[in-house]
Amino acid sequence: MRNPFSLNPSEISGKAKNIRQSIIYMNSTAGAGHTGADLSETDILASLYFNILGYDPDNLKDPERDRFILSKGHGVGGYYCTLAEAGILDKSQLDSYLKKDSLLPGHPVRQKTPGIEFNTGALGHGLPAAAGLALAAKKQNKTYKTIVLLGDGELEEGSNWEASMAAAHFQLDNLIVIVDRNGLQLADRTEIIMALEPLDRKFESFGYSVQKIDGNNPEEIIDAVELCTPGGGKPHLILASTTKGKGVSFIEDQPAWHHKIPVGDEIKKAIEELE
Amino acid sequence: MKTEIRDVFIQTLSALRESNELLTVLVSDSSSTCRIKPFMEKYPDSVVNVGIAEQNLVGMAAGMSLGGMIPFTANAAPFLMGRSNEQVKTDICYSNTNVKLVGLNPGFAYGSLGPTHHCLDDLSTALSFGNIEVLVPSDPEETAQMTEYAFRKEGPVYIRLDSFKAESIHPDDYIFQVGEPVQLTEGTDLTIVTTGTIVHEALEAEKELKAKGFSVQLITLPSLRPLNRKALTSLLQNTGKLLSVEEHSVHGGLGALLADLILESGLNMRFRKLGVPEGEFAPASPREDIKAGYKLNAPGIIEESIRLIKG
Repeated sequence: MRNPFSLNPSEISGKAKNIRQSIIYMNSTAGAGHTGADLSETDILASLYFNILGYDPDNLKDPERDRFILSKGHGVGGYYCTLAEAGILDKSQLDSYLKKDSLLPGHPVRQKTPGIEFNTGALGHGLPAAAGLALAAKKQNKTYKTIVLLGDGELEEGSNWEASMAAAHFQLDNLIVIVDRNGLQLADRTEIIMALEPLDRKFESFGYSVQKIDGNNPEEIIDAVELCTPGGGKPHLILASTTKGKGVSFIEDQPAWHHKIPVGDEIKKAIEELE
Repeated sequence: MKTEIRDVFIQTLSALRESNELLTVLVSDSSSTCRIKPFMEKYPDSVVNVGIAEQNLVGMAAGMSLGGMIPFTANAAPFLMGRSNEQVKTDICYSNTNVKLVGLNPGFAYGSLGPTHHCLDDLSTALSFGNIEVLVPSDPEETAQMTEYAFRKEGPVYIRLDSFKAESIHPDDYIFQVGEPVQLTEGTDLTIVTTGTIVHEALEAEKELKAKGFSVQLITLPSLRPLNRKALTSLLQNTGKLLSVEEHSVHGGLGALLADLILESGLNMRFRKLGVPEGEFAPASPREDIKAGYKLNAPGIIEESIRLIKG
């Protein structure tokens, strides 16, 4: 199944800019949100929805569609803004983010929001489910690919490593795991809280084929996913080095901006930087 | 003839798998626990063993259902509801995935292996989560019908499946109806309500009580959620006294459910709960000894019944 847009990297960067502006407006309007996380993942999500994922906007439940799970569910703001940019959500819906009975709650809910596959929010749940999706494809001889986006702090959850063992054991070469490696978690830098490195060697030893890329560069993201072809018997892992808060200087790489939102002059300044 | 209800469960799955290849069973090194060998021999590609990794067991089952399959998980109940608690809550219940969770060897089935292996909180846990049906079979026929019901039901189901050899306690024309209480005997002195295989102890107790001249209404609840509360309330009005019997903590299980029902429906009843008392672990002892210690066997149920009737 093909991507309905198939944009090139520079067009995707343009989309990412729009998405980042939406994030700033949406979080400011809501008065809450995980701004740093939303901006960190934007280029990955834009690359997925405007080039990589095969889906039919008119039939989001098509059984042959590629599957995407946002395991770092707190990055739902970036996800909603991407879905809105792709026309899956109406942009006016973004104003309802986090409000009472909104279809856009603070973590992804598949029963509420079109395009969302799985409810996340508690960390360490996306990869096991993605492994199940990939295994279901193998069992049914289906060709859809499964892509899951993990936060890096989330890798501290043991369930990821249970699922990684299984992904290699069941030879899920139709599974693509992307790690949003921005180096920060809620309290501080990952390497201060609980050292994760050397992540590439850890994943390799678990049986993945591993690539390291600039996760804020759509060209590198698209090229990396293209290399993740089935057939080799190994699940694929893309360590996507990103900047948390990417695109807004005073938000970038600041642990405090994990779930802060811009207020007053900060909104204007952020939008100016993103134009 | 006594039949092991786990074998009935597996036979039923085999029959269902024969007509629907989407049915898949996930185990966590628990293939002997669920006695799945005959199914595996026939349908090796329909069994997924994730190893000793219960969180991944439930997470992958959720994912497989999202991919269009109909997964059953089968592993020891303590490690299902304990170890993968958040996966059950989030991946199954909250995500409303079409997964059937089967918790094996609940209660004190593992006896002397002790509290690490006892499961006294699966019902309270499952009933605390939203959006999951909670079923407890008591005999071979009910196990077969419940397994088929779960397979056909779209959405999350938990089945508490004992390791237990039993004869059928239901008439040949019994039809399991989800939510409906089952009245096994009529009576006017006392009502005993129970769920699962421990009903066999209650039935034995009822026979002896009858021989002693006491009239006991015995009700079993094969389905704790959904539950036809109106029908159950109506049955409870047949007597003024109630004894609940469960191989589970009295906190949050059958007894607690009945206590709520009595208060909320304004019934005036004398009520006593048999189960593991609030705040206790059960001892590491043979199952029969643990049951005797908590009066969860026929002699214990008789003793408590007479005390309630005469009190």
